[in-house]
Amino acid sequence: MNTERRQRIFDEVEAAGWLQDGMTVAIGQPTPMALVRQIIRRGLKDLTIVDAGFSLDLLIAAGCARKVVSYYAGGGFGNPVGPSFRRAAERGEIEVWECEEGILCAGLQAAAQSLPFLPWRGGVGTSLPEVNPDLKIFMDPLRGETLIAVPPIKPDIAIMHAAHADAYGNVQHVGGPGWIDLFMCRAADRVIVQVDQVISNEQVRSDPWKTTIAPADAIVRAPYGAHPFYSRGYHLQDNEHLKLYSEAANRAAAGDRKALDDYLERFCRKPATHADYLELIGIKRLLALYEY
Amino acid sequence: MENDYSISELLTVFLARELKDGEVLRVGVAMPVAEAAVRLAHLTHGPNMDLVFLGARMNVAHLETIPMPAFGWDRRVVRWAESFSDTGHRFDRVKDWNNHVFFIGGVQVDAYGNTNLIGVGPDYRRLKFRGPGSVGTPTLSTHVGRYYIVLNSHNPRVLVEKCDYVSAFGWGTGGADARRKLGLPGGGPRFCITPLCIFDFAEDTKRMRLRSVHHGISPERVRQETGFEIVMPSSVPTTEPPTADELQVLRSRVDTAGRLRV
Repeated sequence: MNTERRQRIFDEVEAAGWLQDGMTVAIGQPTPMALVRQIIRRGLKDLTIVDAGFSLDLLIAAGCARKVVSYYAGGGFGNPVGPSFRRAAERGEIEVWECEEGILCAGLQAAAQSLPFLPWRGGVGTSLPEVNPDLKIFMDPLRGETLIAVPPIKPDIAIMHAAHADAYGNVQHVGGPGWIDLFMCRAADRVIVQVDQVISNEQVRSDPWKTTIAPADAIVRAPYGAHPFYSRGYHLQDNEHLKLYSEAANRAAAGDRKALDDYLERFCRKPATHADYLELIGIKRLLALYEY
Repeated sequence: MENDYSISELLTVFLARELKDGEVLRVGVAMPVAEAAVRLAHLTHGPNMDLVFLGARMNVAHLETIPMPAFGWDRRVVRWAESFSDTGHRFDRVKDWNNHVFFIGGVQVDAYGNTNLIGVGPDYRRLKFRGPGSVGTPTLSTHVGRYYIVLNSHNPRVLVEKCDYVSAFGWGTGGADARRKLGLPGGGPRFCITPLCIFDFAEDTKRMRLRSVHHGISPERVRQETGFEIVMPSSVPTTEPPTADELQVLRSRVDTAGRLRV
């Protein structure tokens, strides 16, 4: 009989292989970009994406998303709205499951607790239940208050970035997880966490209170895996790179997709692995970001 | 020299004076006037204020300067944090939010202070303008003791009689009991602050009322640039200008890069 504890370390190509067309994927903060780029490289289709910001916009630009569960799709760099999100939503190319932060938490928590819904007050009186018919206004049976019943939001897979994990899936963030990460992990069927560094099991045991996700189903070695985003404890955000995307996406939203397609080809589809991507970005750029 | 200040500086100082020591001030992204106002208030009269930026709670009244973030997603503001809401539930303690203050923008704002971040157009499936989404504004506006609508443009497309979609409920279709009838515990919007004027809400109808106009702006100009009928008092004062001391603190200790001066 095998008595050895099973390790959970996979490379990003194997781990992204768990994803299939049509799945619901929740994406944590900072964005696990090594995994996001693999999703784009594989050309996955019809995904329901639970996410906000740059990675959401990028996945829409790459044609991976059919439906978006989002509370915020801001663009950054002077764009009040993510350019690819805006264009796709206005043209009806994606379906938006309209929500907000509290409703999203309630839906993820309902999934985690196997409940048919959880109540939430924020959104009462707004248009959210009209534009999202999955949200039902109801009268609470105890005090007769008007509340919103939020159905479960159940990701097939949640993908995350963190500073550290051991080989058995014990994740320890530096500076804490993103605000929605743990809701996503509790709700999802499976959790993949890419990390800047794999640490020893002894190091985890020396301070188990630091363990934030316990355990993840897969750990992916991905130093600088959040690039062009920050990773707490490791590196800053690469604003020059984000501006490059932002400008390309803005041109695409105005009708000229060439720069955006070039971006996707060069940074997402062509590098076969995360290591190839880092070679493309270059050691000088990466070292210049190496502070936090 | 008397009017040697920008509109953004005027709005910042106006807002800062509104904020009371001991309050918890919650600021989201892309709201430079609110970000500057909470810093200014903290330095001038709020040593016991808590500032909450993107889930990071801080008290930094002891600092010589509290500069503005370099960009909207600059997570380095966390260097000042004493605690984070991000490890638990951001909305765990809404029962205690009576002394929390929040600032909200909008693609549209209507006569009763309802705001819209969803989008513009009659058909939700084919919006003419798709907005960024509601962020946390539905929950925040439901529970905070009061909030301020802060706009960086004032025109009839933004200030409309009725929002195409409502993402944060202000005073609904009006009336002092509009929020109570829905069971919303928070105090609702107090003022709407724009580059032309300050609106408050009439006590009985909760419709927007012109409270003051900024230097050089006439009530008639505000009327022309607003897409709904304003409750117009018989006389409208000019928004009180910043003092030299307030401008000094704002420019040398908060807006050190001069972003609000343009």
